[in-house]
Amino acid sequence: MTTQLIGTSDSAPPTPGSTKGSAAAWGGGSSMFTQIRVLTGRSLRALVTDPGVILFGLFQPVIILFILTQVFSGMGKSAHFPQGISYLDFVMPAILVDNAVQSATQSGIGVVEDLKNGMVARLRCLPVHPSSLLIARSLANLVRATIQIAVVIVLAVTVLGYSPQGGPEKLLASAGLALFITWTLGWAFIAAATWLRRAEPMQNLAVIAILPLMFASSAYVPVDDLPSWLSAVAQANPLTYAIDATRALALDTPGTGSALIAVLISSVIAVVGGVLAVIGFRRPL
Amino acid sequence: MSGLALPTAARTTGDIMIEAADVSKTFGSLRALDSVSVSARRGTVLALLGHNGAGKTTLVNVLTAALPPTSGRAAVAGFDVVREPREVRKRVGLTGQFASVDPQLTGRENLVLLARLLGADPRSARARADELLELFGLQKFAARRPGTYSGGLRRRLDLAASLVGHPNVIFLDEPTTGLDPSSRLNLWEIVEGLVAEGTTVLLTTQYLDEADRLADSITVLSAGAVIASGTSDELKATVGRRTVTVTPDAAADPAVACDAVRRAGLEPVMDHENGTIVIVIEASKDVAVVIRALDQVGIEAAELSFGEPTLDDVYLTLANQAPRPS
Repeated sequence: MTTQLIGTSDSAPPTPGSTKGSAAAWGGGSSMFTQIRVLTGRSLRALVTDPGVILFGLFQPVIILFILTQVFSGMGKSAHFPQGISYLDFVMPAILVDNAVQSATQSGIGVVEDLKNGMVARLRCLPVHPSSLLIARSLANLVRATIQIAVVIVLAVTVLGYSPQGGPEKLLASAGLALFITWTLGWAFIAAATWLRRAEPMQNLAVIAILPLMFASSAYVPVDDLPSWLSAVAQANPLTYAIDATRALALDTPGTGSALIAVLISSVIAVVGGVLAVIGFRRPL
Repeated sequence: MSGLALPTAARTTGDIMIEAADVSKTFGSLRALDSVSVSARRGTVLALLGHNGAGKTTLVNVLTAALPPTSGRAAVAGFDVVREPREVRKRVGLTGQFASVDPQLTGRENLVLLARLLGADPRSARARADELLELFGLQKFAARRPGTYSGGLRRRLDLAASLVGHPNVIFLDEPTTGLDPSSRLNLWEIVEGLVAEGTTVLLTTQYLDEADRLADSITVLSAGAVIASGTSDELKATVGRRTVTVTPDAAADPAVACDAVRRAGLEPVMDHENGTIVIVIEASKDVAVVIRALDQVGIEAAELSFGEPTLDDVYLTLANQAPRPS
């Protein structure tokens, strides 16, 4: 009865150990470029086969887009609010950055999943470079974030009539900066994932790190409108630079300084995160 | 049984595929492996037998270049696990206690992915995946995700996954833990097929019947140290002897039967309570001696049974002798 379940018992003996044919041509491993390409494709496939992931990921930014712009539209009349723009113009770059930061946390979640489901254990005993999996995760996440940001922008433009002063080119540049932040900040969360190795603390970290950072920044209210202590926090918050820079691009106002600082901080996070991630990833399972 | 002789150029002399010499591994103050030496020739099965925490998985991790040994040296397929880990990884497959596959991909996609990572072009990768799916009788499940598989199917997919790169040596870490009897048998048949093809297998198990059925040699680990090694028969011989138990026909006089067996040169023991005669034998041909002796005095055996010490006896005896971790 048992033998009918498999094709080996009554037919020819299995030949998995055979080194004939195609076997000799490969098996020696692939280049790191191929590894990253194949593993990125694998992570992206989950988006196609499981569209719920991307829909759920879109839920928050879209809700924020519609609720925030309606609830706080009166903010445009506050004392320190920039002249001549609507609250939508003001908050849209912050929504892009919020989306970027949320997406960054997902890179880490993906790595934790791979640790849990045994993919990492499997790849470790193959001639695959340990960084390939991490880089692939970060790239797949970048693709996902790009789709989400595109959807948010399209909705803002078509439904809410968003038309920033900087025009389409500057809008694309601000989206590009947000995506750069996603990718670089993602490395901090990948590093955390390789050290924490469990989904629960990762999710807690995402909430604990992001919620206060987003609100204690220039994201939703001009910094000068905040109480003085919060304003001080906001001015020290690296996300403020990211938001100011994204906003300056979209609104076509001077803000090269913020952009430079934002890129610099992000790059440092990416390098430090990347190094810590590789060290953490190499630790025994 | 013999001491381990390390060939100087294993990768060219080539017949010893797994070897560990005095391998120790400590985690802080815990000595997970204590001067462990094992070896396995091409096309044989080496079983590591031991309780949880005996050091089986640690040794597998050292041999698959996942964990560097604290001291000692180990080589697989002739490549040193510390100095040439990449060469080792090209030649080994590992199937752990838990299926290590991507739950988001289908069975087939998992195999294709691994073949691609091992350097196959897309077409060869698909061909290899289909070959393995057929070999393991998984075609019907190829388009489904592993999450929908039964435990036995998942284990088969996992084993298939570890064979994608045509490894010379496969490590099976408790491959049948948690499987139902028919799935176990299934997996055993697959392993026997691989060995017949020349693959070398290192198997860790807590199941003595599994080691008995598959292994050419068995190493018993306890608290990180080797407490015995040898073939299944050799291990059994160290613990107990085989016996023949005769229940003479009701009409026969057991004393006559006893005398007859004694005259034939064996030492029968009367078990008055059960009305049986127990004879310790040295070799299986002694069974024939017993039957002949009874036949000569015209006694028919109503029942004749052959008692073999099980590996359970071996394991319990040895493990109780060995110091246990406190």
